[in-house]
Order: sequence, then structure tokens, then C-alpha cells
Amino acid sequence: MTRPPELTYAVDEHPPPAILIVSALQHVAVMAVTLIFPIILAREANLSGTQLLDLISLSMLALGVATICFCMRAHFIGSGYLCPAAYTAIYLGPSLFALRQGGLALVFGMTVAGGLVQVAVAPVLRRLRALLPSEIAGLVIAVVGLALAGLGVRYSLGIDEQHRIKPDYVIVAGISLATMIVLNIWSKGYGRMFCVLIGMLVGYGASAALGIFDLANVIPKDNLDLVRVPRLDHVGWLFDPVLLVPFAVASLAATLRVMGDVANAQRLNDAEWVRPNFASLAGGVSANGVAVIFCGLVGSCGLNSYSSCIGLSGATGVTSRSIGYAIGTIFAVLAFVPPAAAVLGAMPLPVMGAALFFTAAFVFTSGLQMITARMLDARKSIVIGFSFAMAVVADVYQDALTEVPIALQPILGNSLVLGTVCAVLLNLILRIGIRQRVSIKLPAGGINREAVEQFLTEQGARWAARRDVIQRAIFGVVQVLEVVGDPPGGAEVEASFDEFNLDIRIRYAGVPLTIPERKPTPREIVANEEGERLLAGYLLRQSADRISARESAGAAEMILHYDH
Amino acid sequence: MNNSALSIAQTRAGDVCVVTLSGRIDSTNANDVVNELTRLFASGEKTILVDLGAVLYLTSAAFRALLVATDEAERRAARFALCSLAGHVRDLFEMGGLIEVFSIHGSREEALKQLGRPVPRAI
Repeated sequence: MTRPPELTYAVDEHPPPAILIVSALQHVAVMAVTLIFPIILAREANLSGTQLLDLISLSMLALGVATICFCMRAHFIGSGYLCPAAYTAIYLGPSLFALRQGGLALVFGMTVAGGLVQVAVAPVLRRLRALLPSEIAGLVIAVVGLALAGLGVRYSLGIDEQHRIKPDYVIVAGISLATMIVLNIWSKGYGRMFCVLIGMLVGYGASAALGIFDLANVIPKDNLDLVRVPRLDHVGWLFDPVLLVPFAVASLAATLRVMGDVANAQRLNDAEWVRPNFASLAGGVSANGVAVIFCGLVGSCGLNSYSSCIGLSGATGVTSRSIGYAIGTIFAVLAFVPPAAAVLGAMPLPVMGAALFFTAAFVFTSGLQMITARMLDARKSIVIGFSFAMAVVADVYQDALTEVPIALQPILGNSLVLGTVCAVLLNLILRIGIRQRVSIKLPAGGINREAVEQFLTEQGARWAARRDVIQRAIFGVVQVLEVVGDPPGGAEVEASFDEFNLDIRIRYAGVPLTIPERKPTPREIVANEEGERLLAGYLLRQSADRISARESAGAAEMILHYDH
Repeated sequence: MNNSALSIAQTRAGDVCVVTLSGRIDSTNANDVVNELTRLFASGEKTILVDLGAVLYLTSAAFRALLVATDEAERRAARFALCSLAGHVRDLFEMGGLIEVFSIHGSREEALKQLGRPVPRAI
């Protein structure tokens, strides 16, 4: 991992306490915006003032626990990167659907089921990678960016049910957004680092001056304790197998988003990032599953990693994992302070809108970067282009899509879910025939190694294969041919490739090479040619991701496998 | 001549004989490397630095050639070092666990700075 020079604090570095706390508070402010999703759920469920505050408090507790889970670097749970959590529109659609079918108990029960799906998916994530390539994760991030921007615009303009714009909302959002942009582009140090938090505070001030910020709306009529343990009065659990489909799809979309977010966090911290580290991705997905189960148990809706915070960490250059633990602690403490829930619950919509719109720009462009990190052939262009269009269609023709059968509504009614399902299915279908196979025959009478090198280099370029993998493959073939010498009848080299695997088969008359487990000593290597052969076998074992050999009727086949 | 064929060039920097290898080193030309280095030791060179910065790839035969040269240097109480390992070539040294076996310097300048110092005499 190469530390990018533009980072102020990289993932393993520890900022001083003041910067740690203010950075964490900035993320807390950005994350708190997403409490709008459990608040929407609570309002749809007609929860009372105290129960509304309890739900917000418990949702904050879950945000804290989830953020710590995401940032941890344990064996099975945690991505190891600064990867804050947030409530998401992904689970909102299925949750509102479940609310209509069976009340809050069904929402919470199915949320637990959704979390279990993610926990089950995490260990097999690597095997599923062919179905969930990084460009699809990038698509998910880009669609989330668009959805966040759309929501941000709606809140910023104060668009109501009659599609009217509120001028005072526009003023507040404009002031708040302009503050964030100016600080981010033209300031350095603390100004850039805390641009979103400062912009939101300025927005609160402007809202208070224009009479938009009104705490009285969320404070219960009886009283508001300073410290209070939130109650679980609104919590119960029910399950319905029919609802497993939309919640499983939401889990898949959430899984893709975590993969995209964690990969993005990895990329931010590594100047030479080429492909995601799957152990870290799987840790992020299992953390998401555990956190969603926790949400269901304490009576909140499902959550996800937060692309905005990853975008924020990239924009500010502060990606230290310590920030994640501080965020978790702050939310856990705030969960027991009802006034905090009241202030967050009363966050003015145009301030939410400005923060969402600002961070959406970084989320969207991160998604585009992930999509275009690899060369897009016709297959990928169709998968990405069609799915992106379908995601947009879900928003544009929302009214028409409500006419579809009820079981399909959670899929067709949500841009992210529809785009994700479309991308995964298209990717699955268009993978048919993706594996390509070529071979070259090398006549006897002195093996032409330059021909092998040219053959693999040209094929690698045609397949858009990674240069380092092709280089290892060239070494492998040349090393095998060198030890084999000049077999009667020559040799045949066959290469087969898909975007995740490169397999090389070398066939010749003779016996397979010895592939030792043990490294030969320098003394053994110098002593005779057998020592050199042992070194050759050992180098082959080390340079290939897998190596095997076969022998049949005097013909040998060496099989070298390289992960791509 | 193919541009990836082995070429061996020599220069001198003070007491250090710098041998620059470029192209590919495999079983077809590893003996050329051994013969050249052995000849230099036999001619009285006491410090030889092999610059591998322009080597495209090497195989087990090349490693054996360099190990034979190391033995020859020990036999003649001379110094033998490598420098400028990069990319895939460095990866192969690491894969083979051979980084520790040789005296390796990051760059030619760094190597000359170290090797240019007089050899400590045994008391």
C-alpha cells in the first residue's frame, strides 16, 4: 500500500485529539442527515413525540455501533478503513412496504432477516466476485450519488406536494452550499477539513434567522430529560416469507454499496490501488449484516456504509480509522441525550439538502471512477449503460411503475434496487462465452522463447489483461520451457482468460516438472543442474497463484493459474 | 540483434568495476554472465557491482549464475554486489527468497558510495 501524498491523515495514522473530535463531529453532522429515513418511517407509523425521540435515539445508537463495526479490523468483522454508517433509501422502500403489510414489528423482523442475508453472503463474497465486479459496485455508488443529489435538491428547494419551491429554503441552502464549496476549493487546513460542518452550522444560523429552524416541532409536550435511557416500547418482531424477496434484494444492493464504499476507501489510501482487497470487503459486508441485525433488534430500519462520508474523507484528506471509533462513541453517547435527538430531528430541510447535494458530487464522481477504472468492452458497456438507464427510469416513471404486481413493487419502485438487479442479471447473462482461449505450437529444434513472449504480450493487450499478471505468466512459461529443454515434438502453450482468471497450459512429451514445497539452499542451487531445477520449480510455485501437473502416456501438462 | 537479447557492458568507478546487464538472462546466456564475471575476478578485480536495472527478466539459470559469481568472489576474498533491482526482477528475487543471499543496493549511486569505502582489514 502506497500512501497518497495528498492525504493529511491516512487510515493507520492518529490525528491529534482536537482534529479527531472535530473531524468526527463533522461526520456525525453529515451522517445525522440520514436519520431522516427512520424519522420518515416513524412518522408513517404515527409514533408519538416520546416514541419518535426514542426511535431517533436508538437509531443513533445503531449508527454508532454500525460505524465501529465497519471500521474495525477484526478477522471476520470490519473493513479496517474509515467507513461510517448511514441510514439508506435502499431499505426504506422495503421497510415502508412491510409497514403497510404488518406494521413496525414486521419492519423490524424483516430488517433482522435482511441482516442475516448479508452475514451469509460475506464469507462467499470472493466466489461471487465474478457476479459482482467492481464496475457494478461503481454503478451502485454512482446511482446512490444521483439519488442523494436528487434528495438534496428536493430538500434544498423545499419542494412540497404541489411541486412549489420555497424561496427561504433556497436562500438557506444556497448560503450553506456556497460556504461548503468556498471552503473546500479555496481554503486550506481546517477550513477544507471541516467545510461541511461549518457550512451546516452556517445553514442552521440562516435557518434560525429566517424562522425555518423550529425545535418546538419535535420536543414532547410533557418534558425533555437531559439524560434518558431510550425505551423499546415501539419494538416487536414479525416475519413474512413473501417479504424476503425485497429485503434480500435490498441486502444485495447494500452489499454492493459496501463493496463500492470499502473499495473506494481502499483506493483513497493507496496511490497504487488496482483491485479491491476481498478480505477487507468481506469484513465490511459482515459488519453491515451484524449492524442491520442490531438495527432490527433495537427498532430501527436497515443501514449501510455511507458513500458521502467516504467522499467527505477524500475531500478533506482525513481518512484515519480512529475517526470511525470517535464517531461511534459520539453517537453512542448522544443516544442517551434526548435534546441531541431533538436538535437532529429538527435539522432544517435546506441544511440537509445542501449537505446531501455537496457530498453527492464526490459520491457520484467516485462511482464513475470505479466504473472506468477498467477498460469497458461491449459487454460491460451494455451492463452499465442499460442498468444506469433503468435506475433513472425508476425515478422518472415512478407513478407508472406502481401499477406492477405488488411483489415487484419493491424492486421496480426504487432506482437503486432496480439498477442493481438489472446490472447483476445482465452481467450474469452476458458472461456466457466470455472465456477466451488461444494457443501456440512451438516446433522442436530449439524452443523459441521470444515467440512465447510476443504471443502472451499481444494476447494480454487484446484481453486488456493486467500487465503485471501477463509478466508473471511470461516468466512462468519461459521458466517451464527452460527446464523442459527441447522436447521431441516441440511444445504447445495454451492460454485461456476471463476477467478474473488467466490459465496457462504447457504440453510437451516428457515428465512433469518437480514443484518443491521447500526453498532450495544456495549451496544446492550452485552444486548442480538439479539444484537449479529445484529453484525453477520453487519460483514457479511462488509466482503462480496455483500450479499443478499431469502426466498421461508420456505426455506432460503443466497448468499455471493466475488470479486477475 | 533482438533488443531484448543479453548485453554485458563494463565501466569503472574508482576501484569498483561496474557490470551493466541488460535484456533477458536465461539458460541460453547465463553462462556468458558467469564466464564474464569469473574472468573479471581472475584478472584481479576486487570489487564488482552488477547493475540489473535494465534486465527485462531472468530465470533460475540467471540466479544460479549470480550465485556462482558470489562463490567465486568469496573464494578470491573479493566483494560482489547487485544494484537497481526493479519491478518484476525484484519480485523474482523476493519470491525465490534470494534477497538476503546477495548484497543488494537500491541504486548504483548508493552502491558506489558503500563499495567505494576501503575494505576493513582483518586484525
